[in-house]
Amino acid sequence: MAQIEMAGVTLEVDENGFMQDTDKWTEDIAKAYAEKEGVTELTEDHMKGILYLRNYYLEYGICPMIRKLIKETGFNLSRLYELYPDGPANSACKWAGVPKPTGCV
Amino acid sequence: MDKKRKYPYFIENPLEHDRVRRFLDIFSAILETSNYRYILDLYSRVTMKCSRCASECQIYQATNDPKDIPCHRTSILLKIYKRHFTLGGWLKAKFTGGSGLTEKDIDEMLESYWNCTGCGRCVLYCPLGIDHRIILRLGRYILSEMGIVPKNLLVSTREQLQGETHNSSKVPLKALQNTVEFLEEEIEEIKGVKVKYPIDVYDAEYIFFTPVSDYLVEPDTLMGIACVLHEANISWTIGGTNCDGVNYGLFYSDSILGDVNRSLISELRRLRAKKILIGECGHAYRAIKDFLPTYNDGEKIEVVSIMELTLQLIEEGKIQLDKNVIKEKITYHDPCNIVRQNRGIEEPRKIIRSFINDFVELKSHGQYGLCCGGGGGTVAVDETNPYRMNVAGKMKAEEIKASGADIIITPCANCKKQIGELIQFNKLPMRHAGLHDLIFEAIIMKDGKKHGTDD
Repeated sequence: MAQIEMAGVTLEVDENGFMQDTDKWTEDIAKAYAEKEGVTELTEDHMKGILYLRNYYLEYGICPMIRKLIKETGFNLSRLYELYPDGPANSACKWAGVPKPTGCV
Repeated sequence: MDKKRKYPYFIENPLEHDRVRRFLDIFSAILETSNYRYILDLYSRVTMKCSRCASECQIYQATNDPKDIPCHRTSILLKIYKRHFTLGGWLKAKFTGGSGLTEKDIDEMLESYWNCTGCGRCVLYCPLGIDHRIILRLGRYILSEMGIVPKNLLVSTREQLQGETHNSSKVPLKALQNTVEFLEEEIEEIKGVKVKYPIDVYDAEYIFFTPVSDYLVEPDTLMGIACVLHEANISWTIGGTNCDGVNYGLFYSDSILGDVNRSLISELRRLRAKKILIGECGHAYRAIKDFLPTYNDGEKIEVVSIMELTLQLIEEGKIQLDKNVIKEKITYHDPCNIVRQNRGIEEPRKIIRSFINDFVELKSHGQYGLCCGGGGGTVAVDETNPYRMNVAGKMKAEEIKASGADIIITPCANCKKQIGELIQFNKLPMRHAGLHDLIFEAIIMKDGKKHGTDD
């Protein structure tokens, strides 16, 4: 397992850069992830998606369907790609500090 | 050996030393406890390396590298077998001094055996009837027992067989319940009917297994399936302890293939269900349909795919599809794990023709259709995306583009992911869908809304 430094914290990450210890997450880490993908400012909309995913993960142990994310946040798919360049699964979930799902996804 | 080895995919604990001895030990143990010897003896005798398969292999066609010819791939393992496990090979080595298996052979196999998508198209063309797909699985099986296997497959399978959630995407029961409740609300909003996803209902006719990833990424497929089963009043249930039809053992390990199959059977027994219903997935269907008898002491349990059931219900008049809903031009991709055995070819086409007016076939289709380029478990190995886009899926993308269709249907979780990525990568002006995604749009619910009305 690789280690990287994000916002002054050393984090364990998988091969795709997803945090393994979700408890270490802070908003500054989300910002650092976003900056790596060229998003220099996290707006209210960015945070709305990130927090929805994160809270869902903390309650249910996995990220929700994108369809549910769209419904709950009111952002359509193209808006999600505007906010998170690699999309909801590869960017938003990563910025929210939750692990990448395994299997055929 | 200080330099770390490079592998073409992520591996959990890469083996750095002693690989040759380990490989031969494992190969020997597998030969003792299986009947692989028969086919290895036969194939070693009959193989002519005529390369008839070369012209039909989409990977060789994309790379033009002789190493990608199916009978070359197969010959690597056959050569090792002959040299190390037959008397003739042993004697020949004594006199001519051949060195036997080398580290280089192992490097070649661990790359080559995961470059192949195991689609089995070459098998149909081999004049000697060599099943390259079985040899591929045996090669991967030996490597996996040494720990050389893509990490995502290993981690997913471990969670499925030993983890708390018993499924390959680590979806807890609470999340499964929340997801199906969400889908129930969606169906009610769109179709105006309360449809239930039964979980842990005893004595149902069917227990439903689909790749658990469907509960994360395929809402429309699942809504279509639930509507079909609801309208036809089918008794069915999802297993709360085990809902996952994924069986990566089919791609790389006989022992995992058996363990996953046994776990599905025990869930069926726990809920006293009668038959197994498989969702939209090629490999999940083949893994249980063809291998259940092997791992179930011969006791018969009927295995039905959702396509077979849906067609039967259409023909019996139990579900009605509106012919005026789908107006786009549609094409269809055949999942290799369904059609190579010459089955599951007519069912989807009959369903499609029953409600879709503008249907066009891909250039290659049916039993001989090209692979999506992500078969054999490779689509679940994210880091192979560039290879799947530029090499394995190249011919498929060209074929899909040439169809001029607006929507490509494929009833397989594996193919959906790969084709979705191909569409995105090649910027094709179309989208992909499952068969039941479109059925969801077109199905007429007796107590529901009419299509196109808002209330």
